[in-house]
Amino acid sequence: MSHKILAKDKLDAFLQGLCRDQDLFAPVMKDGKVGWAPVTTAAEALWEFSNSELSPKDFFFPQTECMMRFKNVQGDPQGMIMQAEPALNKPRVLLNIRPCDAKAFQVLDMIFVQDEMTNDLYWRDKREKTTLIGLACNDPCPTCFCTTVGSNPHGTTGLDVLLTDIGDKLVAESFTAKGEALLKELPEVTRQDLFQAGELKKAAEAKITSGVAVDKINAATVMELYDAPLWDRVMESCLNCGTCTFCCPTCHCFDIQDETQGEAGRRVRNWDYCMSWLFTMHGTGHNPRGTKKDRVRQRFMHKFKYIPVKRGGEIGCVGCGRCVQLCPVNIDVRKVVNDMNA
Amino acid sequence: MTEAQFEPRIAAFFCNWCTYGGADLAGVSRLQYPTNLRAIRIPCTGRMNPNFIMQAFRQGADGVWVSGCHPGDCHYIAGNLYARRRFTVFKNLLEYAGLEPGRLHFSWISSAEASKFQQTVIEVTDAVRALGPAQHLIKDIRKVA
Amino acid sequence: MEAIAQKIREAAKKLLSEGKVDVVIGYAKGSVPMREYPYFAYTPEEAENLTWSSFCCNNLALYTIRRPGRMAVVAQGCVSRNLVNLINENQIKRENLYVIGLNSPGMVDRRKVQALFPGKTITEVIEEPEHLLVKGQGFEERIERKKFLRSNCLTCVQRNPVISDELIGQAGPEGHGGNIDNVAAPWEKLIPAERWAEMQETFKDCIRCYACRDACPLCYCYVCFVDEAQPQWCAKSQDEADVMTFHLLRAFHCAGRCTDCGTCESACPQGIKMRRLTSKIEKDIRELYGYRPGMEIGAQPPMSLFKPNDPQDFIK
Ligand code: SF4
Ligand code: SF4
Ligand code: SF4
Ligand code: SF4
Repeated sequence: MSHKILAKDKLDAFLQGLCRDQDLFAPVMKDGKVGWAPVTTAAEALWEFSNSELSPKDFFFPQTECMMRFKNVQGDPQGMIMQAEPALNKPRVLLNIRPCDAKAFQVLDMIFVQDEMTNDLYWRDKREKTTLIGLACNDPCPTCFCTTVGSNPHGTTGLDVLLTDIGDKLVAESFTAKGEALLKELPEVTRQDLFQAGELKKAAEAKITSGVAVDKINAATVMELYDAPLWDRVMESCLNCGTCTFCCPTCHCFDIQDETQGEAGRRVRNWDYCMSWLFTMHGTGHNPRGTKKDRVRQRFMHKFKYIPVKRGGEIGCVGCGRCVQLCPVNIDVRKVVNDMNA
Repeated sequence: MTEAQFEPRIAAFFCNWCTYGGADLAGVSRLQYPTNLRAIRIPCTGRMNPNFIMQAFRQGADGVWVSGCHPGDCHYIAGNLYARRRFTVFKNLLEYAGLEPGRLHFSWISSAEASKFQQTVIEVTDAVRALGPAQHLIKDIRKVA
Repeated sequence: MEAIAQKIREAAKKLLSEGKVDVVIGYAKGSVPMREYPYFAYTPEEAENLTWSSFCCNNLALYTIRRPGRMAVVAQGCVSRNLVNLINENQIKRENLYVIGLNSPGMVDRRKVQALFPGKTITEVIEEPEHLLVKGQGFEERIERKKFLRSNCLTCVQRNPVISDELIGQAGPEGHGGNIDNVAAPWEKLIPAERWAEMQETFKDCIRCYACRDACPLCYCYVCFVDEAQPQWCAKSQDEADVMTFHLLRAFHCAGRCTDCGTCESACPQGIKMRRLTSKIEKDIRELYGYRPGMEIGAQPPMSLFKPNDPQDFIK
């Protein structure tokens, strides 16, 4: 929509504007790890970093989220009451979010908000009240492979604004009305600045040297992939832990439970994960994904076959590389997918 | 709440073959003791999974007390002796993690020791009362997200 | 390291080509620096992928549990101790096991290395005899290996394998000079409120992914207590009580069994130091019952034993 310039010495003023009636969050360095935290000044936020160790999905999909509270008091007019949890009371801004993560939220929108029946108000409420200001990656990591799964180090999908660091200033591009309003007061960009941003984009893309190919996965049937021999090897060292799913920006499985205490209770949803045997355990004792192999296969099939089939070719992975970095036994999604594509 | 007013709730796990009987005897002997404990009968201290202690604290008990047969007197020969090692290691671990000494108690009381039972109830209750309400490990769904 | 790796490959090839075992479980080079991974070689050709480095941090004993057939396992001190544990707990049979033993050089903590280069990406780490050459985007630094050992390797008391059918390289010293009692000591000096504050600080970032449990060769229960649903001992939420219940009870379940192999800490995506709990128990078990786990085939686990005169000062 519009291209503006945000000088680095004007950042604090810009951030002050953002904080006025919103909560502002950004990646920060804490105990040697990059994580998200509230900020009010530019100095608190990180401007040169690869990405947060965990994805920021918990802003919209907290690991533990109370959905409602209830009481079950027989004979009390106030009993048998269900009470909705309050919606988010203040809009939020996520500053310096990476394009891959913003893209992941757009993929999750397709899953959490589909139609009247599948319309997750917990997810939607927070999404609608949040503005995403992205920071383009000029220095992707060796584990990033976004360009091969439909994203880009300077990608704009899902963002309200994208900032590109061109030295002493940032090029700020808006894509939504919300984003445009934020940039209203900023000066126009010059042709030279835009050219520089474009060059940085090309350079960043060139730095992404690893990736996945999915053409043969797309061509194969579900059953061909499902029965492929590779799963016997992929699953061997897997611990069936929650690391890869919990760090992933697009993994979104959850488990809903009622927790009670005396006559009161709450309905709470917690992150869950396909790698856990408990996730699919039935009350009957039957488990449709009863073996480690079934569970490992599910994670990759879901992202690279089931989601694409059901969501018009969209891939359930944005190539952030977090699972590659954090898997305790180095199960590398790039290798698995390339083996699937063999 | 001042300390004087505070009445702790104590989860008390008693072996069926000894302390539970001791409590009965204390009752029929009309011995007076504080009423802060909620007695739970177990078949043997050897059945006492340390997890039960954890669950009592999770559910808000201010103190936990486990009592069984004197060494050598176990109905199942040695349940209490296996339990002893578990209690030692678990108590040390909880207190290492920050549980205040005085919240978790163990005793050997036979079914004939009504007055030891009475004395121990008083001791346990006083110790827990002095510490005030439990602080840690409580699963309170009203407080959290 | 490379010389040792070569010998491991040769031993594995020989075992596989002679048909002595169905599989050799060892380590292979990871796709990211400082992350070797458990590798299963079924053929002499696959044995070529085996490696040995400063980053063999997974405990391979885990993979022998409930695995049919004859297997060879590459085992440094701690792994061999966990194999002994598993034999003593009747989980594996000695005769199905071929131990390719070797002295552990001590493994390096990748988080300690990364901490030297905050916010920067390490692209390659090259092994030199006493040093590591760390390379990244725009930097290169030679660091002294010894200074970056995992905390559990520093306090190790058994670097040589307890059991082995074949020894790779030379037996070496048993320790690295550290004392495991120093792990728990700082907390033991604190008052209860401070200890609890340390607990909160230690586990505040836990995301309950259970990588620590799942990587540990002691945690082989069919159903872990945290996964039990009827009754549900521990809810699935991030509430402090639930996180603490998991960690305290898991640590307790390792009593008299934990070999301080450090795999739990190496596996954790959040860098959580759960050995602060297990090392306290290790110390108690040693001081109270005179036992070190995994040192002797046939030894009975101390928590399934008693002595008439076991300490009981705390019992009224
Ligand atoms: S792939 Fe890795 S991170 Fe994922 S469950 Fe398996 S061991 Fe855990
Ligand atoms: S699967 Fe791995 S690389 Fe893909 S989005 Fe998830 S964490 Fe990132
Ligand atoms: S591996 Fe780390 S984050 Fe995961 S459950 Fe264990 S301590 Fe928590
Ligand atoms: S608890 Fe940790 S250190 Fe102990 S055996 Fe298990 S993985 Fe190793």
